[in-house]
Amino acid sequence: MSSAFIFGLLIVFMLTGMPISIALGLTVLTFIFTMTEIPTESVALKLFTGIDNFEIMAIPFFILAGNFLTHGGVARRMINFATSMVGHWYGGLGLAGVMACALFAAISGSSPATVIAIGSIMLPAMVAQGFPKRFGAGVITTSGALGILIPPSIVMVIYCVATGGSIALDPSGHRVSSASVGQMFMAGVIPGLMLATLLGVTTFYRAWKNDYPRLPKATFAERVTAFRKCVWGLLLIVIVLGGIYAGLFTPTEAAAVSAVYAFVIAVFVYRDMSLKDVPKVLLGSANMSAMILYIITNAVLFSFLMANENIPQQITSWITSIGVNWVVFLLIVNIVLLAAGNFMEASSIVLIMAPILFPVAVSLGIHPVHLGILMVVNMEVGMCHPPVGLNLYVASGIAKMGITELTVAVWPWLMTMLIFLVMVTYIPEISLWLPRMLGML
Amino acid sequence: MFMKILDRLEEILIATLMALATVIIFIAVAHRYLLGVSWLYPILFPINLSWAQELCIFMFVWVAKFGAAYGVRTGIHVGVDVVVNQLKPPWRNIVITFGLLCGAFFTFVIGTMGAKFVYGLMYTDQVTPDLEIPSWFVYLCIPLGSYLMCFRFLQVAYSYWRTGELPHHDASHVEGIDLDEPPPVVRGVAQ
Repeated sequence: MSSAFIFGLLIVFMLTGMPISIALGLTVLTFIFTMTEIPTESVALKLFTGIDNFEIMAIPFFILAGNFLTHGGVARRMINFATSMVGHWYGGLGLAGVMACALFAAISGSSPATVIAIGSIMLPAMVAQGFPKRFGAGVITTSGALGILIPPSIVMVIYCVATGGSIALDPSGHRVSSASVGQMFMAGVIPGLMLATLLGVTTFYRAWKNDYPRLPKATFAERVTAFRKCVWGLLLIVIVLGGIYAGLFTPTEAAAVSAVYAFVIAVFVYRDMSLKDVPKVLLGSANMSAMILYIITNAVLFSFLMANENIPQQITSWITSIGVNWVVFLLIVNIVLLAAGNFMEASSIVLIMAPILFPVAVSLGIHPVHLGILMVVNMEVGMCHPPVGLNLYVASGIAKMGITELTVAVWPWLMTMLIFLVMVTYIPEISLWLPRMLGML
Repeated sequence: MFMKILDRLEEILIATLMALATVIIFIAVAHRYLLGVSWLYPILFPINLSWAQELCIFMFVWVAKFGAAYGVRTGIHVGVDVVVNQLKPPWRNIVITFGLLCGAFFTFVIGTMGAKFVYGLMYTDQVTPDLEIPSWFVYLCIPLGSYLMCFRFLQVAYSYWRTGELPHHDASHVEGIDLDEPPPVVRGVAQ
């Protein structure tokens, strides 16, 4: 009864278009004032202690690091490198687009920014070379979403934060701890490379079938020069993953180090920005971080309320009582997440859904890391289809195509993503193999 | 005039805290590794940086509260606008205004709860574990930030009522990319 009331209220508030953070907070307030005996002081305290956690601080640091390197100059270096490596194959610039998007998205961490940065350079070049516009737009829109799967990924940190406090028991009744940021990052490597490859294969196949133009093969010297120019940006991924894996830093420290590194690279090595542009980057990053931290604060309140009302436990026992096994459960999870992707952006979905899904999934024997990767892939699909697919809107702006036309254009790549989603859902080893090999699970 | 000062103060506060937190954690990490260098050890060992994490957390909580207020002004807090955008003008305006006023109401309630909480703490000697600064000072960001956010919501609601415009955050702006300018030629394409 109370769970129906809570979710009903949340949905009504959200449909008015108010910020998701406010909708979450108001739901909690309404419930607390009308239906429970929870002292309001504990709510005030939660507002502070909800984000009083060093692990969460990786989010602002990663945002800052990404913003220093989200620059047209970095995008051009990535594109040159990608073009010199794969440009002579079928689908030349298209394949290079997938690769450049994967590289740029990984370090910038923002999907729409990737679509703009890579797309605004790649699309006109592709059209000039004789590719149909819809082909280019389809490639860039979908590949731009790779950033949240390839580490360092902010959505993964959010997943870890969202499931952090949950009490979850596996089928045999043992307590299972939630995934750590390091585990999630390592787990994201294989699926990220796999999805990039699959998108590349789709591009290659369609280019081969329609005989789209190729580029002259780059010489070895050209490849080395292009690589040397873009390697400074790519080292950021190495610092974060290597540093966490080798135990040099905690994920949050890795994020802070990568932010300082990104600053040095952007200002002193690449010289894309001068020192007087730095305050603007800081302000923009603070703005973005505060938005996410504010949603987290209210989402923590919300999951505190749900835990207090035993909602995750109720759902768990209900799911087990009707005899749903993990195969059916994951199917339902995918459908729910894809549906949610129609209305909300990734971080809000993860913050609201993960604390509910996590205990249920664990009770059915699903690994926390597997669930996390599955959610991230779902979020990626959600960015590429209407009505809210952010990438779609951004791409429609630079390609000057309507949303409907673009939706048709992205279809082959979107299908590839959906097939990949099914693979990730039902082959847990895709996500779990690497962290297990590295001894992190 | 007063508004301009407030706007600038808000921006300077969050950007500075962001930069300081990054530098502090970087220094703490560097300190830990430089301790391993034998000739630096005697210089660095007396410096105790165990408070760095706590300070970083406090700084980011302050960034979160004041940045959220700044975010209302820049329109970065997004909601589910699928339904609202389908509505016809009189209803659309009513629903949007309702949403903004709910934001103002929520932040006002939170601010007041926070203010009471801080007021209660001021009569205690409670200090933070590592830095040992008074707790009430650290928690002060809840009432201050929330009241500022409440004010920003009212400000946005007022300007919406006057002009029908909402602040809009452009998530897709990238420095160094000029969309109106003809794009540079990618290697090989010109040949």
